[in-house]
Amino acid sequence: MATRVGWSPGPAAWKDDLTPIGAADWNYDRAAHLLCHAGFGGTPAEIEALAGAGLEGAVRSLVHYERIANPRMQPFVESGLWDATLDKFPESRPEATDRAAKGGRSMGVDVKPGGNRPVQPVSDRFFYWLRATMLETRRLGYWWANRMVQTAHPVEQKMALLWHGHFATHENKVRDYRKMMQQIDLFERGATGNIRALTIQVAQNPAMLYFLDAQYNVKGAPNENFAREVMELFTMGVGNYSEKDVRECARAFTGWYFDDLSFKADPDKHDGGEKTFLGRTGNFDGVDVLKIIFEQPVTAEYLAGKIYRFLVRDELSPDLRRKLGAVLRDHDYEVRPLLTAIFSSRDFYSQASYGGHIKSPVEHLVAMMKHLGAGAIPGVPDFNQATIAMGQHLLNPPSVAGWAGGKAWITPGLLIARGNVAREVLIPDMTGFRDWNFMAGSDDVLGRRLREGYDIGAATAVNDPSKMSTFDRVALERDEQFNTRISGYIGWQQAARKLIPTPRQAASFELTGMVLDSGARTTAEAVDYLLWRLLRVPAATATRDALVAFLTRELGTDSVERARTYMEDGLRMTAHLIMSTPEYQIV
Amino acid sequence: MTTRALNSSGVSRRDMMRIGAGGLGFGLFGGIGPVPRVLSQASRAATATTSGRILVVFEWFGGNDGLNTIVPYGDPAYYKHRPTIGLKEKDLLKIDARLGWHKSMRGMQQLYDEGKVAIVQGVGYDQPSFSHFTSASFWHTAAPNSGNEFGWIGRTAAALDPAGAHENLIVNISDSQTLAVKAEKHVPLVFIDPMRFERGVFAQEKSVLEVLAAQHTPAGDAHKYVLEVTRSAAQASAVVRAAWSQYKGKENPDLRLLDLDKVAALIEADFPTRLYYVPLRNSLFDTHVNQAAPHDRQLEYCSDAIAGFFQEMERIGRADDVVMYVYSEFGRRVPENTSLGTDHGTAQVNFVIGNAVKGGLYGTPPSLTNLVLGDNLETTVDFRRVYATLIDGWLGADAAKVLGQAFPTIGMFRA
Repeated sequence: MATRVGWSPGPAAWKDDLTPIGAADWNYDRAAHLLCHAGFGGTPAEIEALAGAGLEGAVRSLVHYERIANPRMQPFVESGLWDATLDKFPESRPEATDRAAKGGRSMGVDVKPGGNRPVQPVSDRFFYWLRATMLETRRLGYWWANRMVQTAHPVEQKMALLWHGHFATHENKVRDYRKMMQQIDLFERGATGNIRALTIQVAQNPAMLYFLDAQYNVKGAPNENFAREVMELFTMGVGNYSEKDVRECARAFTGWYFDDLSFKADPDKHDGGEKTFLGRTGNFDGVDVLKIIFEQPVTAEYLAGKIYRFLVRDELSPDLRRKLGAVLRDHDYEVRPLLTAIFSSRDFYSQASYGGHIKSPVEHLVAMMKHLGAGAIPGVPDFNQATIAMGQHLLNPPSVAGWAGGKAWITPGLLIARGNVAREVLIPDMTGFRDWNFMAGSDDVLGRRLREGYDIGAATAVNDPSKMSTFDRVALERDEQFNTRISGYIGWQQAARKLIPTPRQAASFELTGMVLDSGARTTAEAVDYLLWRLLRVPAATATRDALVAFLTRELGTDSVERARTYMEDGLRMTAHLIMSTPEYQIV
Repeated sequence: MTTRALNSSGVSRRDMMRIGAGGLGFGLFGGIGPVPRVLSQASRAATATTSGRILVVFEWFGGNDGLNTIVPYGDPAYYKHRPTIGLKEKDLLKIDARLGWHKSMRGMQQLYDEGKVAIVQGVGYDQPSFSHFTSASFWHTAAPNSGNEFGWIGRTAAALDPAGAHENLIVNISDSQTLAVKAEKHVPLVFIDPMRFERGVFAQEKSVLEVLAAQHTPAGDAHKYVLEVTRSAAQASAVVRAAWSQYKGKENPDLRLLDLDKVAALIEADFPTRLYYVPLRNSLFDTHVNQAAPHDRQLEYCSDAIAGFFQEMERIGRADDVVMYVYSEFGRRVPENTSLGTDHGTAQVNFVIGNAVKGGLYGTPPSLTNLVLGDNLETTVDFRRVYATLIDGWLGADAAKVLGQAFPTIGMFRA
């Protein structure tokens, strides 16, 4: 069996040192470390190719990916759920039905001229879009995760994921998957470009404008939401500006809004007066104040620190933060030179950076596919359900602050969920699986009752109508304008009729071939191979020994050759257990 | 290779005994028949560190608009500041000639009328932050305009049990650990969905689970952390699921407890936990725009959940032992904004609830005419006074030690 390069972190003394490592310091293990942090990891063949390119070649091919072909990227295929009547979608159900009460029509749907519940179609229409955009966003998140697996530009995807959590908006509030799609595109295109340019584009991005209430920020009545977050979370960090700066900044952004998917600036609503912001005075607009923000030394440090913590490790000394900030500032906020400096540095290959990063749930699932050599994220388990269970809902970060990351990814519950997701990927429950896109959750009971012939009053009753007397049941039916509970169900049905179904295939890979190709002859060698392939931090000897004993028991022999015709599930269980170890959660 | 006797849930006898010794009165036989309630009242008293008193913190993240929660309808300045979103006198649940509950809060009003709710007005801190995250971190650490590595609940645990021997002293019902519960010696039990809180394994795999977190030299800080959590997860998941499967409140379809249902389940199962921390999920309290409908709804959900929770405590027979504390990281600006909402503000209203509480109004209501810091309420009660009251007056721990300095407490508990 071929000798493999084992775990080889650099010396502890390399910590905080941005000097590039030498050619002699480069090997397979360091290439594996690089690919895990810069991207999502890879197969031994992919790591071998990087190792062969040398440090400089490897870093260049990852960071300067523009001219590398990326043939597997496909555009998102929309289900066709949106139409122009949904433009200026009401912010709430009361607003939707009020519009109908005033104009007889709302979201392209007329109020019924007679009969009970005349406004029901309008209420249904409102819920239709809530469900439609939620369901399409699930498809969008799944599509994006597959790009992460299939891309020839892993750094581009990794950085796009960073920007999504950094400039965080969520579909729950934005309520328009098209705007979220626009954002993914923005984050991919701006992934490794200039951060100032990206921030200006984000500030003019419809999802962000809506998310932080830009349409309410007008001359004479500034709304501070965006102005505060842009400094606190997107650029400088708290404590580097005053409350007055927040108010002046908000004035500069007045008049910015969006029309469907386009940015607009309304000169009549813009406060063109003089502002004093971060010590500068002028008739600033939004772009001006963003440029001033990027002149602050703290901005470069804040952003460089954020990138470093996302890619390398949680712990960052003030000294290294300063050094990284200087690199970013010296290159006028261009990301590529900073990434090149980080990925080439002694610090990056030092002991402290080995195993210093806890994978996010999306990273965890994408990396699983890369490690297993599977070409796509499976349909079973469902991508969104799996990542939500592990604590990350793509396109729905919990707040404008994004995901806390680091140790916050690991609680007893979330850790258990990670192991469970690994099992669902390795040994999926193909016959027990049910597609949640076609289940209306708690509304399902309403649908069942309606189809059993109950009227709306009985169907929406708290108690089971089949256990009521006819008299009680009939008494439940009432005159009303509309019934929102029924709308929740009808809206789901209407959306699901149009929704493109997600293919529900299992992950495609085969461990038997991998193990045989590795030259393993015994179960001990098979386990050692899988540990080497899957883990970036070695497991405890006791864990390794227990895995060997397990696999031997499962196969009924310690000879891999003897078990070659039936060992796939035993190997998969072994991989499931490896992916449940503490070591698999970190890189 | 290690072979140890395992029961069908994959947990060794030794682990079960250890959890039992930690004060947990039932075994880990998740899925094989009913779980016996072993701990009697007497044995509970013997195993708990000082007493059976429980504190439940219910955090209303987002910045609740206190002025539209406990409404100063008797003050004409209120309507001057809020000509459109001000709540009309006729819609309120009156407290006195000046104040009324928001109409959605019938559940809490009833508890108040029973004399079980302390309303503390004007709670905040000097030089307030208007950032959700910064202000929340100040409240979590009880260190305004400063910081602390550990949360105030985590430090309270250390004061109650300096050795850190008491297992599951802190429970945090959340997706990820709240800073408030971060503790030096205690590992808070953090979960949100009891039924997902279980390792899915095939029978053959169980032997390996035992050694997943085997003795191992950690490669670094992150590794050390994940190793520790792996060890505690195995034990915690079994006991939580057992408690949840036994919880009788699930059978009542009218109960809408938000995430307080998990707290009720653990209390019914005689968990040794004394500190529960529940941050509100999917908060609608950040009401910059068109605030009426979402605020009405959010207050109704929260108020109903609290009333339902105490109804459950009565059923379980623990209502005398539980106090709940409700707060938000800040209140909102006094004048409404032009979007029919309110922006981030300062002082706010807190609630302390329970049979042990002497209901009534506490603190000095801030003036609505003498505003500070750009249209904001002046803080009249430092929030650490409320914390000190809970730590010292209710839990019987040394508040000065937890908070780093002595704060005057508020006499809101019955003798």
